[in-house]
Amino acid sequence: MCNGCVFCLVLLTVALGAQALTPSHHLSLSDVDRLKGLLSQPFTDLASAYYSIVGLSKLGASVDACQFLKAQLDPMSVDSLFFAAEASQAIADCEMPVFNETRDILLAAVSEDSTVTQIFRAVSALSSLGLPLASQEVVAALVARIAKEDNVLAITTALQTATRLSQQAELGGILEEIEDLAARLDDLGGVYLQFEEGLEATALFVTAAYTLSDHADTEPPLKEDQVIQLVNSVFSKKSWDSRSEAFSVACAAAALSSNRFHVPVIVSTQGPATVSHSQPILHLLVTDILSNPLASANLLVESAQAVASKSVVLSQAPFSLRNGIFELNFMASQPASGYYQFTVAVTGDSRLVANQVELKVKVSTEVAVTNMDLSVVDKDQSIGTKTSRVDYPFKAKGSFTADSHQNFAMNFQLVDANTGVELTPHQTFVRFHNQKTGQEVVFVAEPDSKNLYKFELDTAERKSEFDSMSGTYVLHLIVGDATLENPILWNVADVVLKFLDEEAPAAIQSKTLYMPKPDIQHLFREPEKKPPTVVSNTFTALVLSPFLLLLILWFKLGANISNFSLSPSSVLFHVGHACMLGLMYVYWTHLNMFQTLKYLAIIGSLTFLAGNRMLAQKAVKRYGQSSTLTFFTRSTCEN
Amino acid sequence: MSNSVISVISRFLEEYTTKTSNKLKVVDAYLFYILLTGALQFLYCLLVGTFPFNSFLAGFILCVGAFILGVCLRIQINPDNKGDFLSISQERAFADFLLAHTVLHLVVINFIG
Repeated sequence: MCNGCVFCLVLLTVALGAQALTPSHHLSLSDVDRLKGLLSQPFTDLASAYYSIVGLSKLGASVDACQFLKAQLDPMSVDSLFFAAEASQAIADCEMPVFNETRDILLAAVSEDSTVTQIFRAVSALSSLGLPLASQEVVAALVARIAKEDNVLAITTALQTATRLSQQAELGGILEEIEDLAARLDDLGGVYLQFEEGLEATALFVTAAYTLSDHADTEPPLKEDQVIQLVNSVFSKKSWDSRSEAFSVACAAAALSSNRFHVPVIVSTQGPATVSHSQPILHLLVTDILSNPLASANLLVESAQAVASKSVVLSQAPFSLRNGIFELNFMASQPASGYYQFTVAVTGDSRLVANQVELKVKVSTEVAVTNMDLSVVDKDQSIGTKTSRVDYPFKAKGSFTADSHQNFAMNFQLVDANTGVELTPHQTFVRFHNQKTGQEVVFVAEPDSKNLYKFELDTAERKSEFDSMSGTYVLHLIVGDATLENPILWNVADVVLKFLDEEAPAAIQSKTLYMPKPDIQHLFREPEKKPPTVVSNTFTALVLSPFLLLLILWFKLGANISNFSLSPSSVLFHVGHACMLGLMYVYWTHLNMFQTLKYLAIIGSLTFLAGNRMLAQKAVKRYGQSSTLTFFTRSTCEN
Repeated sequence: MSNSVISVISRFLEEYTTKTSNKLKVVDAYLFYILLTGALQFLYCLLVGTFPFNSFLAGFILCVGAFILGVCLRIQINPDNKGDFLSISQERAFADFLLAHTVLHLVVINFIG
């Protein structure tokens, strides 16, 4: 159904060429009261007084604090003069005293060396106090300062300053800043448009843009979608952190509800958007964002389309205005029950923005159960042995008995109580409840092609749902739907069901589902079977025995160590070599590869050097012997 | 047929005992010892089973490796082969033998578990 709504919306948008964006947030009457409450909190200094007094005046309330302003005024400070002067403008018959030095102090603040805020406060104070000022000089100073202070708040303050200048001044350059600032807004999801500096900056920008546009009589370069997105951003927050934030929101609300170019309109329903025979009239409220009713608006239904059948029920029908509320008797068009997509348009003022609104309206009705027939049918004959008609809300007299050879059947019709049209509600359930065991079995009754509801219970087939428990079951019919005003829970009859008793289970098995299951013992991996120690010892001895054989053979061959020279290098070599073999054993029992390699490197290098030396000596000795032999042989040969 | 085999064998043994130098016979005795040790390990594995398989492999590979290195040493120190190994003196052959053995032992001890 939701997909259908979205599709309708897109179609309507494309067909009518209108924007689909409407404000999702505005200030309801309770929000406005909350805003006024925050601004009405007692103030102790001039800045708070300014925010409160001016903010409340924008919302239509007034505060009398003239004495406070006069008492707190410091005529030497530009800020103090600004706050007091602006606040006094909002109070009737309140005039601030003007001293001789006031004008000089304020004019001195208008220069390229002061910040934009200083210039703004000075210019505002000058204009509120009725003192003359040179607009062109202010424009020059502002343009120079904008070039230096390029942030959002500064430019917004410059825009505000321009609203106090004479209309003959050249405000074109400053007006262009509105468009540049609007380009800096962040688009969040196509719904919100705000500055990253926050809500206050956005609200102040809105105020400044519209005030300046009104003052210069040029339409602000904001598209309608952007205006709606700005409205969403500024009015989405319903509780404000500080007085200045509340002040900015109040100013923005006032600017958006009473400027000369764009006035966003809010169309809302009074209560839920439901019509029925008892309440045939659809009530709509058309207000601005401060929830004030619009004086000169006319409301028109462009089309009302049924969501389910897509047929257009109403087209171009006007609403009538009564006591500030727009009314339309929708039931006069005889709509069937269900949901309807309304497209309404607000006309009457060219300034209105977002004046085409989509609404979903529900038409609800009452249902009546007619022609309820209960019967017990034999399976073989398919002839009803007993059919009785029951009228709502009475219960059938006598109970119905069905055993495994019979089926219990129920036929009925659901009709609209007012129009007699057949209905197919979402929920039509048949509930069997066993009073003794507490069992509850629910079935769904389905309509056939002629919208006649049929329900048949095959006792033998369905015995598993009943756990084969025979007994008396109380039968209820449950009918419900979102569009029904009278959902039905009707105790229709008592049904005695007989199942074959030997199939009845001893206990209800579902209870054991939630008891602890038997423990699983973890089986560790069995160690491998080892051969008996005798066998392995025998074979160890056997494997070591060839060593003896080797020694015997060597002895027989006459291998000896008589040539062993006791030079230090050979001793070191042999010791080192023995150490290396010992290291192998230690590696097997204690060490890991890294430690072994470390020790091996040390011992090995020593052994290598010693061995090198030793073998070299041996080689020299051997060559010496053979060369002597050659010399001897040669000498004898020569002879 | 068997006659010629026996006569070949007896001739071989005779030549061996007379012609080969003592040094080579020492190395041959060492090789025979290694061979026996390896064969006995293999016999154990066949008879009893391969339970600590890595230990069996380590021992067997040590025997095989030592045998090969011994054979290499024997070839290199045989004076009849001097022409093939002009740059390798006997001492150099022995040093190579020792170095290779060190590496072999390291690997085998690592594997023996």
